[in-house]
Amino acid sequence: MKEIVIISGKGGTGKTSITASFGYLGAKEVVVADCDVDAADMHLLMQPDFAEAKDFFSGEIARIEQDACIQCGKCADVCRFDAIPVIDGKYIIEPLDCEGCGYCPRVCPTDAIVMEEQKVGKWYVSEIKTGSIMVHARLGIGAENSGKLVAKVKNEAKRIAEETGKKMVIVDGSPGVGCPVVSSLSGADLVVLVTEPTVSGLHDLKRVYELVKKFKIKAGCIINKSDLNLQMTDEIESYLELENIVSLAHLPYDESFTRAMTIGQTIVEYDNNGLNRSIEETWNRIKQIIFKKEK
Amino acid sequence: MKIAFTAKGSSWDSKMDPRFGRMDFLIVFDEENKSLISKDNREGAEEAHGVGTQTAKDLIESGANVLITGNGPGANAAKVLEHAKIEIFVGAGSMNIDEALKAYYDGKLESF
Repeated sequence: MKEIVIISGKGGTGKTSITASFGYLGAKEVVVADCDVDAADMHLLMQPDFAEAKDFFSGEIARIEQDACIQCGKCADVCRFDAIPVIDGKYIIEPLDCEGCGYCPRVCPTDAIVMEEQKVGKWYVSEIKTGSIMVHARLGIGAENSGKLVAKVKNEAKRIAEETGKKMVIVDGSPGVGCPVVSSLSGADLVVLVTEPTVSGLHDLKRVYELVKKFKIKAGCIINKSDLNLQMTDEIESYLELENIVSLAHLPYDESFTRAMTIGQTIVEYDNNGLNRSIEETWNRIKQIIFKKEK
Repeated sequence: MKIAFTAKGSSWDSKMDPRFGRMDFLIVFDEENKSLISKDNREGAEEAHGVGTQTAKDLIESGANVLITGNGPGANAAKVLEHAKIEIFVGAGSMNIDEALKAYYDGKLESF
């Protein structure tokens, strides 16, 4: 079983649209994992049935037990996040502001502050429109993605893929270069970088590739909207060559991306003007790369 | 010398775990007395933040000199391990523990 992780570093490059297309093309051969949980949106394109839902707990935040509180205010003094306002003469922890650092219970003279685990969202195992499985999650208001949630979604997807004899797991990776991305990349057989020919597209590509390189994972790159700035596309190509990243495809700027999305379809379902074929060819190349290695 | 592995289980034929921070088991092989000690890390993996550095601390406390893993730790944990002078070898993510040890002895694993 092989694991393909698709990341972009920069938002708005078309990562999820392309990932969903691969998920559609891979059909029953793949399990899809949506690890871009901060702004999860792949479910819009894959129509999951949310069949199996589980609560997700993560991190602790503080709560003041009012009966034991003597209003000394020490907790509010040490709180770096200004999360302990006085409301109606009582010190209260503002749950959205509390970072769960655990400083306040240490200074409380009457042990009135308890740290409680938070339910931050749900994660799901769903059947999607291709008849295959997708593992995904939804976070509550103010909750943030974490390496823990990514690990959970990914491990579950891999477990299902192994149990049901699927050939691949496709992971819609997390943004940025922090903990969730590190967690998205762990164990990947191939990383697909999706970028666009803009200054920030190249900058963020370089930044996230540093991480991929450190983890010694083979990488390929798709330059989306490549015809918007040919000079920048050339610049990205030179970078790919320098770093030994496989140049997988140049996709043109095409409003089909948006139109497909607004009616809840993947591009390969929606488009008939060649873009669908370009994405299919890219997908076939990716499969060649990951399955060649085994021999 | 003590050699540590990130693994899915605690016996020689267990699969390696490519993850570092949220690995299932930390396995330490003592070359001197040939013992294999395991630490269940699945509870530690439940923490939301700072897992990498916490696992790095456990690894240092285990007395290991070498770590064999899949992709390698993230930047923060890597810094901790560098200070502790623990050598890291990667690329063993899809092997069993015994295969990973052999690959290490044969010099087939890349240095992180």
